[in-house]
Amino acid sequence: MDKFIPLFVILPLIAAFLIPVFGRFLKAFNKTITLLVFLTLLILSLFYLFAGSQASFVYHIGGWKPVNGVPIAICFLLDPFSGFMLIIINMMAFLSTLYSVSYMTRYTGENYYYTLFAIMVAGLNGVVITGDLFNLYVFLEVTVIASYALVAFGTEKEELEASFKYQVLGGMATALILFSIGMIYWYTKTLNIFDISAILKDSSDYKLIEFTQLMLIAGFGLKAAIMPFHGWLPDAHSSAPSPISAMLSGVVIKAAGLYVIFRLFFNMFEISYVIGIIITVIGTLSMVVGVFLAIGQWDLKRLLAYHSISQMGYVILGVGMGMLILSRNGSEALAALAITGGLFHLINHAVFKGLLFLNAGSIEYRLNTRDLKHMGGLSASMPLTYSTSLGASMAISGIPPFNGFFSKLIIIVAAIQARYYVLALLAVVVSIITLASFLKFQRYAFYNTKVEHEKKKYRDVPFVMILSMVIMALLCLGLSLLIIPDVRDNVLQPAVDVLMRKNDYFINILNM
Amino acid sequence: MNTDFADSGINLFILMAGLLPLAAGLLFLFIPDRFRLFKGIFSLLIATISLCGAGLLFRNTNLPLNSNLLDCLGQDHPETGNMPGNAKSFFSLYIDNLAVLVMLFISIFTFLILIYTLAYAHKRKRLPQFFSLVLLTSGSSMLAVLSDNMILFIAFWGFLGLTLYKIISPDDEASSAAAKKTLILIGASDGIMIMGMAIIWHISGRIDMSLMELPTDSTLSITAFVCLAIGAFTKAGAFPFHSWIPDYTEAAPAPASAYLPASLDKLLGIYFLARICNEIFVLNDWLRLIILILGVTTIIIAVMMALIQHNYKKLLGYHAVSQVGYMVTGIGLGSVLGIAGGLFHMVNHALYKSGLFLVAGSIKTQTDQDKLEKLGGLSRQMPLTFFAALVFALSISGVPPLNGFASKWMIYQGIVDFGHGESLASQLWIVWLALAVIGSALTLASFIKFISGVFLGRQKQELKKAREVSWLMWMPQIILAIICIGFGVFASGWVIPKLFSPVVGEVKFIGFWNSSLISLLILISLILGILTYLIFSVSRFRADDIFLGGETGKEEAGFSSTEFYETIRNFELLKPVYRAAEKKWFDIYDLSKGFVLKISHLFSAAHNGILSNLAFWVLAGLIFMFIFLLL
Repeated sequence: MDKFIPLFVILPLIAAFLIPVFGRFLKAFNKTITLLVFLTLLILSLFYLFAGSQASFVYHIGGWKPVNGVPIAICFLLDPFSGFMLIIINMMAFLSTLYSVSYMTRYTGENYYYTLFAIMVAGLNGVVITGDLFNLYVFLEVTVIASYALVAFGTEKEELEASFKYQVLGGMATALILFSIGMIYWYTKTLNIFDISAILKDSSDYKLIEFTQLMLIAGFGLKAAIMPFHGWLPDAHSSAPSPISAMLSGVVIKAAGLYVIFRLFFNMFEISYVIGIIITVIGTLSMVVGVFLAIGQWDLKRLLAYHSISQMGYVILGVGMGMLILSRNGSEALAALAITGGLFHLINHAVFKGLLFLNAGSIEYRLNTRDLKHMGGLSASMPLTYSTSLGASMAISGIPPFNGFFSKLIIIVAAIQARYYVLALLAVVVSIITLASFLKFQRYAFYNTKVEHEKKKYRDVPFVMILSMVIMALLCLGLSLLIIPDVRDNVLQPAVDVLMRKNDYFINILNM
Repeated sequence: MNTDFADSGINLFILMAGLLPLAAGLLFLFIPDRFRLFKGIFSLLIATISLCGAGLLFRNTNLPLNSNLLDCLGQDHPETGNMPGNAKSFFSLYIDNLAVLVMLFISIFTFLILIYTLAYAHKRKRLPQFFSLVLLTSGSSMLAVLSDNMILFIAFWGFLGLTLYKIISPDDEASSAAAKKTLILIGASDGIMIMGMAIIWHISGRIDMSLMELPTDSTLSITAFVCLAIGAFTKAGAFPFHSWIPDYTEAAPAPASAYLPASLDKLLGIYFLARICNEIFVLNDWLRLIILILGVTTIIIAVMMALIQHNYKKLLGYHAVSQVGYMVTGIGLGSVLGIAGGLFHMVNHALYKSGLFLVAGSIKTQTDQDKLEKLGGLSRQMPLTFFAALVFALSISGVPPLNGFASKWMIYQGIVDFGHGESLASQLWIVWLALAVIGSALTLASFIKFISGVFLGRQKQELKKAREVSWLMWMPQIILAIICIGFGVFASGWVIPKLFSPVVGEVKFIGFWNSSLISLLILISLILGILTYLIFSVSRFRADDIFLGGETGKEEAGFSSTEFYETIRNFELLKPVYRAAEKKWFDIYDLSKGFVLKISHLFSAAHNGILSNLAFWVLAGLIFMFIFLLL
């Protein structure tokens, strides 16, 4: 398996290189190769999941093995947690590309679009599998620079403004992250995450490390759009072409933001109570404020974008509670439950938020508007868009039997078990307001009286768009199965274990 | 208590009653609405099988039993058979007498509503996926009732909110708004229930509900009880979470109202209330007092609102709320008599209220009018509907010998009996009794309005073409009416001992009450009355047009039953209250909506999208984190 690891980065990069070259001559080359690459990577990551071993694989670039336990080469690491993220990234990339096949005919310059898309995915895969801190930073920049360009892809006033804001705040994030990496390198004299972890375990300079940790929270918080750092998100996610919005909301903020935070703070640093509190508090803040901002919106994609902030809050709440419990030496089973809830919600959110953005895209494709006040009565004319969006709305609002219900359930149960009653109450209240705002979406877009602009009859969108949405809607239902203990033990539990048990685990990795 | 595991016969019945409709409903979702007749007939077939399953389950005598949903799917299945214990425990079922009673009635209502809809669906605007939604609702309600595991229960329970939302099939502003409001309130209560269940799980360490008996002595357990009670109250539609029901019934197609808010949601809500009050928790006196206060408030407030309605569906909706008050009061009493009365009233209410909504549906299909003022004199054209409506109206008003009287009588007796206790709630027994009786009187008053407004009075010119509905539509109404009469006449002799005693234990009435004897006496006095009428006055009876000072009266001069009730609205003391109520000042939904939107605007004002602000927040966030670290 370890021979395949670099493919996650190389294949999309090759595609990105080939598309501008051959795309000029072969008409459907760009779509075909992107789809093929993502499908291959999806199958590969699923193969890793279902192969059953759930072992960790390390790939040393250049083949330089560690000497006396000191790593020399940059290494790629495939463990259950990164495998879990790879599935999300490549699945969403595949489905969004499938959707783009019809959707992007609205735009010119499709070759550039697919090129940038492939580069973005290469960067995301790189972030997730790399075991080197500076390498992580490089892949992060690859991802976000591609996404700056993709946000501005429409090149209208609004898109450019959004992209500009995104770049400025992204630049701040870059500065913070790079600075912290410099601090860590100065302190530990190494960049390998597991090596750092071993050194930090014995260190005594808490203040310096905590200072660096806060810089990292702010930096990756900006990438993940947690509450005080979220300013760029509503503009950027609503201006991008819809499949890109689906990728940005569904994947990028998770892989480039949350994944890194979880990975670094669980696996690299020692878990500390103060950081646990900070992470939980900003998570709760995002969850609460985000939903209040969302419910007042009339721009459909902006509403969805604010909900991304709020839903990321749930994920952080779950994992942050796990961190708090661990740092207080609470029950491990309880911490595992909280983290499971967080990660479960993470994959669920990728699917339903991606689907919701695709639904918004379909409405925009036919009606050319994102304003809820200009929609209405679409349930009859766009039945499949309607049913898939109903599924996704119910999933995000936590209505059974959709997946969001079960992940929220786990988070609430974990909060109560850990005696964080206020957090549980907030999670419930936010869930209710989420429900209210998605029923608003359903009501104004699909119910109410019909709008018939210029006596035009609306039809449902083309087949591939439908196909991609239907697959996602089925996933919204199918992921509910993760609640069943046996399934959960095979999919989520190994990822949770990676986060929880670092000491006996990473020593082995260093020597692989 | 016998808690053996069920044999395969029971599992087969559960499969027939619960899982089959669920599976068929899912399957039918994928069949386009073009094949409506096909779907309708097959749904009816499945409902029949489900009815048989529920009936066979009901006849089983060695309850309660434990079972498992996976076992019901087939024990010899290798996948389910070999599943380890912890996965299987998520699907545990608990079958007791209360559950099978509720299941039996769920299946009866499903069956009757499907018959009615076969004819209804053809005439009116299309009800998309109605049959599949009915089957899904029926299946998941039954499984919710059977569930022992809390997660399984809340999953089925929450899914019912979605079917309730879908079944309204919104296509205009009013119905869309009603659908949204309904699911927000129901979904909110489900979310709160999750919290209650998580707390129970936390305190007791158990995830199955049966034989829990938690004492309500700590803040946590009281919170858990309140959370779960909110769920039950919202589902059943008790004050202050009732406000979705009138809106829903006004906007939804009548079969949907008859099926969900009128019958199934009552069955489920009160079923769950009974569960939490008597099995999951042991209530303390203060909680009883609060429940009783909410019960009688529901009775009075809703019936006062019903009195002033012009839309007959909304009027029925308010009564669907008001009657819940009796059930809540009965269950809240906690005595055998009270609980039996509450459950009996739940069943009775479901019978006559879904009947009334079916009547409303028939009126709507035949006349296409929503307002009482526009109707009148339909008794001649729609005699069967009129007869059914009369039975239902008298029954809901608590007129003996019908079933509504029987259950209310039991609740009254329960209240009197409750008065012997020592607690504050017991001391106040006379208040509960008085308000319950007044509520009943007001119900009668508002149903006189309904009956006279729709069926009696002068015939309107534009309603000349109205005809009796087809046999598929009147048959369910008549069946329900006959059950109403039957349950009333044989209440003490057959219904209580056969249906409710297994659930609550031996019911002992205070004083002498034999419903059949009373019915006989009433029948005799009715016959005597009719004879007197026939002998003495029939020849002197004359029908004529309205005239005013010798001139033949115009339409406006006619007597309109609705105007009669305007005096209540204009009564000085009540006027401001009604005005405030119509502005939705007491509606928990609108109150919280206003609050949320206010906060939302506050936050939105800060998000003006200026780049320097955004950058400032980042720095401010960073600085706050540093300060927190230094503290």
